[in-house]
Amino acid sequence: MDFVVSQILTGLSLSSILLLVALGLAVIYGVTGVINLAHGEFVMLGAYGAWLLQTQFGWGLLASLVPIFILVGILGWLIEVAVIRHLYDRPLDTILATWGLGVMIQQIVRLTAGGELRYVQMPPSLSSSVNILGATDSAYRLFVLGFSLVLFALTWFVYRYTSFGLRLRAITQNRSVASCFGINSDRAYRMTFAYGAGLAGLAGALISPLKSVSPEMGTTYVVDAFMVVVLGGVQSLLGTLASSGLLGEVTGLLAYYGNDTIAKALVLLGIVIIIRFRPQGLFAPRVRA
Amino acid sequence: MSEKVSLQILLYGVVCLAILLFPLVVNDAFLLNKFSRYLVFGMLAIALSLSWGYAGILNLGQAMTFGLGSYCMAMYLKLKTVPIHTGSDGLPDFMVWNNLTELPWVWAPFHSTAFALLAGILVPALFAGLLGWFMFGGRVTGVYSAIITLAAMVVVNLIIVDQQGYTGGFNGITDLAQFDMFGFEFDAYSASTYYLVAICLTVALFVALAVTRSKTGLILQAVRDQEERVRFFGYDVALYKTFVFSVSAGIAGLAGMLYTIVMEFASPTFLGVPLSLSIVIWVAVGGRRSLLGAMLGALLVTGVQGALSESEAFLETWTLVMGGLFVLIVLLLPQGLAGAFQSLAARLQPAGKISTDKKTSPDKKTESRDSGKTAHAGETA
Repeated sequence: MDFVVSQILTGLSLSSILLLVALGLAVIYGVTGVINLAHGEFVMLGAYGAWLLQTQFGWGLLASLVPIFILVGILGWLIEVAVIRHLYDRPLDTILATWGLGVMIQQIVRLTAGGELRYVQMPPSLSSSVNILGATDSAYRLFVLGFSLVLFALTWFVYRYTSFGLRLRAITQNRSVASCFGINSDRAYRMTFAYGAGLAGLAGALISPLKSVSPEMGTTYVVDAFMVVVLGGVQSLLGTLASSGLLGEVTGLLAYYGNDTIAKALVLLGIVIIIRFRPQGLFAPRVRA
Repeated sequence: MSEKVSLQILLYGVVCLAILLFPLVVNDAFLLNKFSRYLVFGMLAIALSLSWGYAGILNLGQAMTFGLGSYCMAMYLKLKTVPIHTGSDGLPDFMVWNNLTELPWVWAPFHSTAFALLAGILVPALFAGLLGWFMFGGRVTGVYSAIITLAAMVVVNLIIVDQQGYTGGFNGITDLAQFDMFGFEFDAYSASTYYLVAICLTVALFVALAVTRSKTGLILQAVRDQEERVRFFGYDVALYKTFVFSVSAGIAGLAGMLYTIVMEFASPTFLGVPLSLSIVIWVAVGGRRSLLGAMLGALLVTGVQGALSESEAFLETWTLVMGGLFVLIVLLLPQGLAGAFQSLAARLQPAGKISTDKKTSPDKKTESRDSGKTAHAGETA
């Protein structure tokens, strides 16, 4: 029994990280259609932000979450204004431009903070371990799981139940018609990009105590996050939730029976096959074409 | 029209001749080795330009086929060292370290030179053919096919790293014999290797040019611009796309084989995400819709990178400058330097000629409309 629970918990922990990283990507991709390859670098910036605030200013991790969200969000806003908004009708070129931006951000961090690995301390209040149905898990991992679910719920609520969300949905349906009805789609896109970037920064800060922080850390996340978004269905937030849960659990299970590398390869292979037969994603809602 | 074609062939020929005559000017072994490497990258750029620029298939996993070619060559050259390293009936040294007792069956045919040389081109081409048929048969396009190519490459990379006994794992296949053929020795630091690479590059360039000039090439360009309409005319779009995807993979495989000869090893980094994305950069900088432009883009970017990385001051800032330049090129010159050059040339021509040129020059408005999301905006524009 406790073996099953601990397996599920391992999977959930992987899922929560995937969800955190993929959420921002899904929001941006779903609304604006921009494939943000700099997303991993936003995550990395969030992690560095946590490290910087902790080592230089003595801030606890929890206290630094809000400023990190805001700062990375502002950076996203600036990048949208400077680069992304010129490319909305060239989706494949956004891959290239955001990758170039990612390279720049990575190199700037390497030049200013150095290339060596950094470590962020867990909040002391969450560093204990908790017993659930006979299995133990660290309190921090559970906190991250809870936090990612709260963030997801918040995003979903905004998208579903606020007037801003209504406008966003109108734009996703048909941008030009929405504009005719007086919706400022430029502003909505900008806000979306900034919010998605902020979410990535938050994800990075939350992940930072679990992994070592380095300039290259973003690249490992961006491919995974991409797979989550595509698997879930581009315009379905619930799909992102479901597919991150699915991928986390499957990876955890395969890694237990085989090894990590083969687990990853198998998961990717599965995704390739799924995209082939359901390019709209596993959990995409039916829409009228 | 025919005048224009011969002008293009002339231009291609002049560049190739310049590349072939290069060792007459420079006789430094180290430099020749470095330039051989750049030429290999140029060949990779030709391969990507063929699939991306001419058929609209953005291959984010181009390094996969490159790496497969490279490993084929490395396996062949490694087997040649066995008698010296571990005795006449021995195994490659890394297999001995990994406690393998007999040669894996995939390795056995690589004792044959002919098999190895063919495999270096055909294995990547077949692999891409299967992947292409799988994707294009299901009408996967645009962003999704880009993601599939990327994921497929990562899968192959993970397997190669994991299967240490068969592939040398992280370290790759090192400590290789020298390639020789028809009595020629291809020392990595010699003019003969440079010529080998340069001749292969020239052949690849003209093969690719012939493909784009053929009827198949024209249909592919039509597919790139309006896939649905070509399908309505009764063409098997998937078949055409699979074909060009395989040809591109074959060229990349050949480039991989040459890279192993030049570098004297094969490594999983040859089929990594960074190299794959670098290829996309070279092609975007040079101009994806010009084979020559893409190739020169690769030579230019890697050449400048190589030159700057030797000076201490630029070693670190180079990547930063590169990233920034790349963003600017995507924003301002969507067709790369070749595209900018072409539109400049069109502007300088006498008025009577402009109208015919405009028809043949790529239409900027129609590019990358393969995402369903903006297809509507594109239709109405």
